[in-house]
Parts: sequence; C-alpha cells; structure tokens
Amino acid sequence: MAIYQALRQAAEASWASCERPLKTLIKVNLGTCSLVVGAQETLEAIRASVQAGELDADVMATGCIGLCFAEPLVEVTKPDCPPVLYEQVTAERVPALVKSIASGALANEMALAVAADEPMGDVPPLESLPFRRGQVRRLMANCGVTDPLEIDHYLARGGYEGLDKALRMAPEKVIAEMLESGLWGRGGAAFPTGRKWEFLRMAKRHPKYIICNADEGDPGAFVNRNIMESDPHLLLEGVIIGGFASDADRAFIYIRDEYPVPVARMEKAIEAAYAKGLLGKNILECGFFDFEVEVVRGAGSYVCGDETGLLSSLEDRRGMPKIKPPFPAESGALGQPSNINNVESYANASLILRHGSAWWGSVGTEKNRGTKMFSLSGKVQRVGVLEVPLGTSTRQVVMEMGGGVPDGRTLKAVQSGGPLSGVVPASDVDIPLEPEPYRERGTLLGAGGLVVLDDSDCIVDLCIYFQWFAEDESCGRCTTCFAGTRRALEILKRIASGRGRAADLELLKLLGRIASNANCFHGQGAPTVIASTFRYFEEELMEHVTRKRCPAKRCAGLVRYEVLHQSERLAEAAAICPVAAVVEEDGAYRIDQEICVKCDACREQAPYAIGLVDEFGV
Amino acid sequence: MFSQASHNSRLSAVGPVSGSAEVLAQISELIADLKPDDVDLLKGLHRIQHEFAYIPKEAIPLLAAQLDTTPAIVFGTIDFYSELRQKPPAENVVGWCSGPACLLKGSLNIRRALEATLGCEMNEASADGRYELQLVQCDGTCQLAPLIRSEGRYLGPLSSSEAIKFARRLKGEPEMREPPAAEDEATTEEAGE
Repeated sequence: MAIYQALRQAAEASWASCERPLKTLIKVNLGTCSLVVGAQETLEAIRASVQAGELDADVMATGCIGLCFAEPLVEVTKPDCPPVLYEQVTAERVPALVKSIASGALANEMALAVAADEPMGDVPPLESLPFRRGQVRRLMANCGVTDPLEIDHYLARGGYEGLDKALRMAPEKVIAEMLESGLWGRGGAAFPTGRKWEFLRMAKRHPKYIICNADEGDPGAFVNRNIMESDPHLLLEGVIIGGFASDADRAFIYIRDEYPVPVARMEKAIEAAYAKGLLGKNILECGFFDFEVEVVRGAGSYVCGDETGLLSSLEDRRGMPKIKPPFPAESGALGQPSNINNVESYANASLILRHGSAWWGSVGTEKNRGTKMFSLSGKVQRVGVLEVPLGTSTRQVVMEMGGGVPDGRTLKAVQSGGPLSGVVPASDVDIPLEPEPYRERGTLLGAGGLVVLDDSDCIVDLCIYFQWFAEDESCGRCTTCFAGTRRALEILKRIASGRGRAADLELLKLLGRIASNANCFHGQGAPTVIASTFRYFEEELMEHVTRKRCPAKRCAGLVRYEVLHQSERLAEAAAICPVAAVVEEDGAYRIDQEICVKCDACREQAPYAIGLVDEFGV
Repeated sequence: MFSQASHNSRLSAVGPVSGSAEVLAQISELIADLKPDDVDLLKGLHRIQHEFAYIPKEAIPLLAAQLDTTPAIVFGTIDFYSELRQKPPAENVVGWCSGPACLLKGSLNIRRALEATLGCEMNEASADGRYELQLVQCDGTCQLAPLIRSEGRYLGPLSSSEAIKFARRLKGEPEMREPPAAEDEATTEEAGE
C-alpha cells in the first residue's frame, strides 16, 4: 500500500539523523532499570552541559539495551566514529564524561564498549562482551537503539511493514504464515500462537477481542517490561496483526500496575499509531479493517496473569480465574470471543510477518524455533535482559553471559519460570533452554525469568518464599489452592524453625498430589518447587527435619548470633543493633537471645567477633 | 452477567451515600465518563487512588451506581487487589521488595531490621502512624537487590546496617545508638517475626 511507503519515507529523515549524525549524538538509556539509578538526572545533566556550551551535541533518550548491571548507560556517536557506550554514568560523572568527549578522548575509563568490529584502544567491541556473545537480537534490535517514543524511528527501521504485508494478504494466509513459523506462546504454556488466532477467527460473534497479557507477574522476570518500554511499537504492531488475522474489533493490553514506565510508553505508542492511521478506522486506508487498542492497568494481583484471571479482571470485578470450558475463543472478555497472548508472542508476530516465517525460523532448534528473551537475576555477576536462540544451553546464559556466581561461590541451582515452577540443580545446568528438558525435570522454562542460586542459599528458604507467594496470591476459589498452600507454608515454616517431624515430608507430598485438583495453574503449579526439592535437594531438606540443621544457615529458627571473641568492634555492633540485643556486662559483650531479631547487622559491624552458630557449632 | 435490571434498588438498602459533599463531588467528577461493561472499574479505582492516595469508602456506592453493579462487587474488587489501598498511607512509606533476587541476597534480614527500627510489622503502620512498611513486588530492578524504596527512590544493594541507619535517619534519630543503650528497651518488645 502506497500509504505505508509514504509513512516510511516521511520517517526516514528523523531516523537518519540518529543513524548517521552530522554532529555528536548522545543517547541515554531510559528504562525502569536505569531510571532507578538516576538515568533521568544523567540525561538532564548532559542537556545542561550542552546548553552551557561545553559540548556541541544532540541528546536523545532510548530504551534499555539489556545491560542492567551497567546502568546508567550513555552512548556517544561522533560523526566520524562508531558509537561508544559508557557505563555507570551517574549525574556526578557527567562533567568528566563531557569533558573527555569534548577533548576527543572517547576511550576513557567509563567506556564499556564500542559498537564496531574492532576495538578502540582498550575499549572492546560491544559484541565481544561476554554478555553479548551468543545473543541473537531480533526482538531487542531496537532496544537501546531507537527512541521508544518516536514512532518514526520504528517505521524507518522497517516497523509496521509486517502489518502492511498482512493487510495485503488474506487473514487466513497470515495465520498460515504464523503456523508455518512454529511460534508457540512465550507466556509459558507454549501453545502455537497461530492456532489460537485461528480459533478466534472461527468465532463469528462480534465484538471480538484481542488481549495482550502484559501482567508479567513472575518475580524475577522482566523481559516483557523491556519490550514495552524500549520498543512499544513492536508489541503494538503484533497486536494489530493479530486483530486483523482473527477478525477482532478491539484490543486490551493488560499491564501490571508495578510497571508505570511501560504503561506510559504503551499509551504514548498507541496515541502515535492512531495519529499515523495505523489504528482506528480504515487502517492504512486498506478499506476493510478498523481496530481499537487500549491499555488496561492491573492493580497488583498475580493470578490476573492467568489467562482466565485476566478475563475476570477485565470484567470489572475480582480477578478470579474461571473454569474452562468455555475457552476464551468462545466466551472470553465480557462474554465475547477473545484471544490472549503474551507480549513476546505478539512481538514475534511482527517479525514473522515482516521477514517471513523462513527467516524467523532460521534460528533455534527444529522443535523450538526463534529466539527467547531471558532476564538474569539473583546470584549472578551480570543482571540484565538478553535474547538468545531457543536451545542455547542454560550454562552459556547463566555462567558465560551472566558471568556465573559472584564472590567465589559455586552455583547451586537455576530457578526458571516463576514461583509456580521449580529449580534445576547445578549438575543439570548444561540443558538447553527449551520447554522439554525443563519439563522432564519436573519444572518449567516459563516466560523468561532465570534466578540464580549459589551454595549459600537454602532450598527450604526458597520453598517458604514461593509457598508464601502462592498463598498470598491465591484467589480463594479452590480449597486445594488457598488452604493447600497455607498448610504447606505452615509445614515448611515449622521445619525451618526446628520443629519439623518426619511425617511432615509425607504431608508435603500429599499436598502436592492434592494440588492437581485446583481449577487453574496457580493452585496446580504451587507445589512444584517442593517437588523439585524432593527430587534434587532431599538431603538438605532432611537435614532440616531430622538434625534440625540448616546447612546454609539461612533459616532464622535454626541459628543464633553469638559473640565469639571480645573485640573493639563490638561497640559498633551494639550501636547498630535495632533492639539493643548486644549488651555489655562487666566489660564483656554478649547477645541477648530473648530479644535478638536476627537481622545480621551486628555481624556486619563485627564479622570477626560475632558468629552465626547453630547446635553444631560455628 | 450484568444483564440484571439496575442495581440501584440494592443501593438504597445500604442507606444514603455518606461523606463530605466535597469528596463526593470530587469522586463523581473523576468517574463521570466511566461506563458499565467497558473495562472501566480498575480505571476508576486508579483515578480515585491517584487523587486521594487511597480509595475512600464513599467511592464504593458511587462507582457501583456509575457502572451499574453492586457495592459488594466494587468492594470485593478493591479488597482483591494489593495495590488498592483502603486506608490512607502513613506519612513515610518504606517499600520492601519481596522478590526472589532480594530474598537470596538477604532481604529477610533487612525486613527484620526495618520492622524493629520503625516499630511496625510488614504492611502496617507504626503506633504513632508516621511510618509504614509496605511489601512491594519485584519490578525487575534486581541489579539493586536487596533493595527498598522510599519517596520514589530505590536504595540498594543494601546491608542490614544501612537499612537500620536509613530508618533511623527517617525517624530523625542518630544513625548509631548511643552507648549505654539501656533506655530503649520498652520499644523493642514487638520486634521479631
């Protein structure tokens, strides 16, 4: 359609000035992860020094490039040089950076990498950084590169071409292309996305709704956040394509309330798309497709990330998951036919339509094609977001890209897929990142969160956390879920406090079996981490139950703080203690066990003098 | 499911809507454009909470009438979502991240330290109503784990000592306890989990 080409041409100029700047261009990463470490202040400080004439440069904001550990990140492109990335540029460090750039010294001590094939002095090429080696950045191609609020940047880099192509195909052809690609839902259930679109297409009752599940509630997962705040149009385009292919009328992008930045950027993106005729009546003047999209903000409920919980939430009431059937394609939001996909699924749809299913499927494995985004957190050197072909080994992502476990510790396990999933022990860390090997180990690959545990972490502690989470977020419908998780939590807390009994182990197993009777996956998945513990860490669990000993010394009920040596530092320990439990009597310090809350502050002050001990010694 | 006749008859059973005329007018204006069966309840609740920092009780019957539903459904919704507050927040709210990365890096120690220093349990306010600890969910800022949030700022990675010093500064106390520290004992009773 000529109209798309016209839009794209009009957008070229805006992007060309960023791609081949005529004067120095400074980009500041503005994502949730950088804003919390002062990236906004960095941006303002750079703007101020440009205004003060210290540097002749254009300044722009981009999204998050995924290197959360190095934020605030600033990229500088001089007209005759490749872009250079600078790490941890807080506002205080801006004057030094500006000075060094103005003097022509690009390769300074803040430089992290250069976006070129060859190093620049000591500064390594970006793609040679361990975090980047092995990444295939398709979904993240624009992340940290374009201004997420500039629809022209997206258009100029091929954005909405997939939509334009789709509108020139029959909807059935679009679905065929989706099926051909082999894309399965990235939210965790791994159901073919094209099939879902087909189900909605077959429903005849209008209005029909497209729903994007952007509730990303798994603690430790932040890949959807990255797409929405760094390249919101990539998601929006996929949603519109889905709407066209399945003959839908309206879309809701349901974003969790904990994500204010993605909410704001998606709303801006939608506004810009309406203004360009990419949304609303007669999209791209095709003559046959109208579509509306709006953002719905959640309000802090994990089960609203369940497909039917989300539907209930849209219906102006408690977000309690429903009983299936009817399936959403028959009766979904507000009783109308609906289709729900994850953020990453829609984002992939944009790429499949733009580049074709053959290109899209050229990476990954035979069964699991394409790329997958993962977020790394926990006991890992480099916390961040990355994109790799499916089938990449877990070890490569955690140990090489993530840099492995810090502080000389060793890897204990990798927790994937959120609180309704389990763990994979260090001995299995070579398995590929694909659903099947994870499922075989009784756990889930899930939506992209990878939390890394080291040998100082306690598996019972993790179980308590996940059971607490599951109990706290249970909607309250099924007894097996709301009461089952509560019982499991009580038992685990009992074990962690040193009152565990042999029968508790059988009770935990029983609760695990009963949980399969819950209506939705929240209740069914809740005991997964306990099953994982029985499977891989039974010895550690038994140690808690039979010997009342926490090998990691993390379970507060099984340890106490003691003064091991008298030392001058103990005065600091006494001064920091929030409850005055470090007491001095006759010139000697001791810890009053009656009032100690076990917060560890005293040991931080006097690590030699105070020890964490249990019945078995220090 | 909302096909029953208007629920206004049930509304009258709850009695007249109470609250100051000003608050009622303000709420009515905030929700004037909301429609039944149009995915508007959460939108309305967010607007009200944005305005008042919590959802005043008076809003419940007004929203129910506007959206042609029952006060019970509106209340049930507010009660269901953890981000929706039924009470005004304390002067100082300290957010404690409950996420797994924070957990592994010692957030429980920080929780115990803050509860003891601020004199309140999680999701409760101190006796004088000035300080509140709020459990917040992971938003993926895990490079700062373990972290807390205060006045829109994120503080982390935090040690227990730093958390205690932060809480004492918030209370206007010296960062380190003065020796001898015997006089504080009365305030330390509620500590512990």
